[in-house]
Amino acid sequence: MELDLGPEIAQFRAELRDWIAAQAPPGLAALFDWNMVMTAGGRRGEQLARAMAHPAYAQWSATLQENRLICPQWPAEFGGQGMDAVRVAVLNEEFHRAGVPRVNRGMGESLVGPSIIVHATPEQRAYFLPRIISGEDVYCQGFSEPNHGSDLAAVETRGVVNGDEIVITGQKVWTSGAARANRMFLLCRTDVRAEKHAGLSYVLIDFTDPGVTYRPIKQLSGAAEFCEDFIDGVRAPLFNVIGGLNNGWRVAMTTLGHERGGRATVAHLGYEREFWELVETARKRGKTGDPLIRQRLAWAYTQVELMRYSGLRTLAQLAAGRPPGPEASVAKLFWSEYHKQLGEIAMAIEGADGMLRPDGDGYAVTPWQGVFLSSRAGTIYSGTSEIQRNIIGERALGLPKEPRLVG
Amino acid sequence: MTLGVTTEQEELRASVRRFLNDRAPLPRVRELMETPDGIDRAVWQQAGAQLGLLGLAVPEEYGGSGFSFAEQAIVLEELGAALYGGPFFASAVLAATALLASPDEGARRDLLPQIASGEVIATLAFTEDDGSWDPAATRLTASKTGDDWRLDGHKSFVLDGGSAGLILVLAVADGSLSLFAVDADAAGLARTVLPTLDQTRKLARLEFGGVAGRLIGSPGDAAAVLDHVLDVAAIALAAEQLGGAQRALDMAVEYSKVRHQFGRPIGSFQALKHRMADLLLEVESLRSAVNYAAAAVADGSAEVPAVASLVKAYASETYFHVAAENIQIHGGIGFTWEHDAHLYFKRAKSSELFLGDGAYHRERLADRIRL
Repeated sequence: MELDLGPEIAQFRAELRDWIAAQAPPGLAALFDWNMVMTAGGRRGEQLARAMAHPAYAQWSATLQENRLICPQWPAEFGGQGMDAVRVAVLNEEFHRAGVPRVNRGMGESLVGPSIIVHATPEQRAYFLPRIISGEDVYCQGFSEPNHGSDLAAVETRGVVNGDEIVITGQKVWTSGAARANRMFLLCRTDVRAEKHAGLSYVLIDFTDPGVTYRPIKQLSGAAEFCEDFIDGVRAPLFNVIGGLNNGWRVAMTTLGHERGGRATVAHLGYEREFWELVETARKRGKTGDPLIRQRLAWAYTQVELMRYSGLRTLAQLAAGRPPGPEASVAKLFWSEYHKQLGEIAMAIEGADGMLRPDGDGYAVTPWQGVFLSSRAGTIYSGTSEIQRNIIGERALGLPKEPRLVG
Repeated sequence: MTLGVTTEQEELRASVRRFLNDRAPLPRVRELMETPDGIDRAVWQQAGAQLGLLGLAVPEEYGGSGFSFAEQAIVLEELGAALYGGPFFASAVLAATALLASPDEGARRDLLPQIASGEVIATLAFTEDDGSWDPAATRLTASKTGDDWRLDGHKSFVLDGGSAGLILVLAVADGSLSLFAVDADAAGLARTVLPTLDQTRKLARLEFGGVAGRLIGSPGDAAAVLDHVLDVAAIALAAEQLGGAQRALDMAVEYSKVRHQFGRPIGSFQALKHRMADLLLEVESLRSAVNYAAAAVADGSAEVPAVASLVKAYASETYFHVAAENIQIHGGIGFTWEHDAHLYFKRAKSSELFLGDGAYHRERLADRIRL
């Protein structure tokens, strides 16, 4: 069933559908499976890079940019069109339906841009935002450090002001997309005497600076999607400090809080496809008659449907002009915990074959082994499940905070 | 499909909640659960005649107020939260849905108005001693002599079967499933109220020895009717379970904010906070599912059979999980008869078992999505 969002949205949807059909370059949808779950293992990263290098992708990106359909949710004065979350959701649904890529600007669009829009000066906005939209600046995140993951406010990377520059030295880790990035947004300590949240600054640095070196980290899955980064005396103009010196915690929190609604009704689609692929695997292996496997598959189907229902509920809330309810605050915990279970079900279906890897260079794995292994990361990155439960307990349920240790 | 909550729906929820707070609070639930039928006649009458809750989802032509199932689901959620023990589910859900789904216009005109007003309490008797929820397991037979049908056999686990005045009975007639309306006072009918683990849910066993019944529709009609009724009933029960689960979670959260041990509120300990966060995830997911399922029924969607089993399985396990954790989070006081936690715990278990548990419905779901 499709949600009835009123005649205005229905018209928006119809016009958009026609527009995509008229504008999408032929062959674009066939280039790549743009909407599959990202963690499905295999050689997806290389295939994606090849598809993005195709002229049809560049042509599509240019068309979207001309029509302000890149970062469309940003306000019009900053290069977007101030599109509300309901229309962004419809946009996502229609792009999915057509099998064409949304062309998003990654962390630049979802994290850095919103921080700049809220906290930066007019001059900073005018400089940094268009470069995100055009794709000229590609950002990676410099928050986590070897000694500070969940306890983000304890970062040790130093930022020392020297004239009209800030000089940054330290180490960051778990950076995804480092090889594609030309800029990093990071948190560094600019006042060592202040209370820990108060002495941080949010800085945009040139990630191609010779003072930056990064090394891929081989993960338990055999893949290397994250890097560790060594930042040695990298200089950035004070112009690149967003929200003012020692105000970085607030800026970073804006960043983390700004990702709701627009993907509510498409977030489950990749999981839905993945589920039916697993059913296909189970059929081929003659396992769909096994009552225990049937129970587990029906459980997995339930979880994916619950994601869909919650997404529709969020969208209905937004369409009524209300903020998303608690279902949105549990979404990350929900899908990350689900996906680990799905990986385990897949291994149960593979049975003894699950013990064997395919031939190939390095630590080659089957797609289901890839899901089984890589899904362990989901409950760790972007706030571990334990941090998620603290946040849910304290913000959604209003439970008292853990007393802080003094000293 | 519409999912947003309208102002009218919010008002309906508030008025039902107010009504139950005033007229059927938990101390009153405890008094009534010790009685054989669990019914406060004055409350029942008010719910029917005054508030129109019993005929909410019944079309106006049959004496109801013609709202959709989405409104009925809101009422059920509030009834579940309040542990209401009267025959709402039996009469306004099971019996009314069966009549509405039957192709017998005459029976609908004769019987629905009294159900909608509350003058008659009705129920649906479809299970037997083997406890199977599958209508195909029916053994009770109906035989025809002249123009009259007589029923022989038994029914069990009949919801409010001891207090209902009108009993819709599933029987095998001419070798196929058929539905009969039986007067509770009919000769040859013996009713035994059964002692129940969950005292807020009244069940009865019925013996039929040549009992006269009125055939609803034609012989063989009832298989399709029951399929639909059981799907709608599963979603209706899930709405009730959502209300109970939310209330049990609220109890746990409130208690853990005020109960201090080791010099701090116990809700500040991650051992409890994280469990309650997981419970919130389940309750909110259930709420999304019930909203969707209720809209599916209201729209007459083809998704109803799969969604019904999905939501019943999830509601059953969620409510029981929350109600069980509520006892644990309360500690010693949660294990006492005096505290209300056990009432929710028992209702959660009876709701889980009634109409089939999680594993039963997951298998049905697997079937319905053609695994």
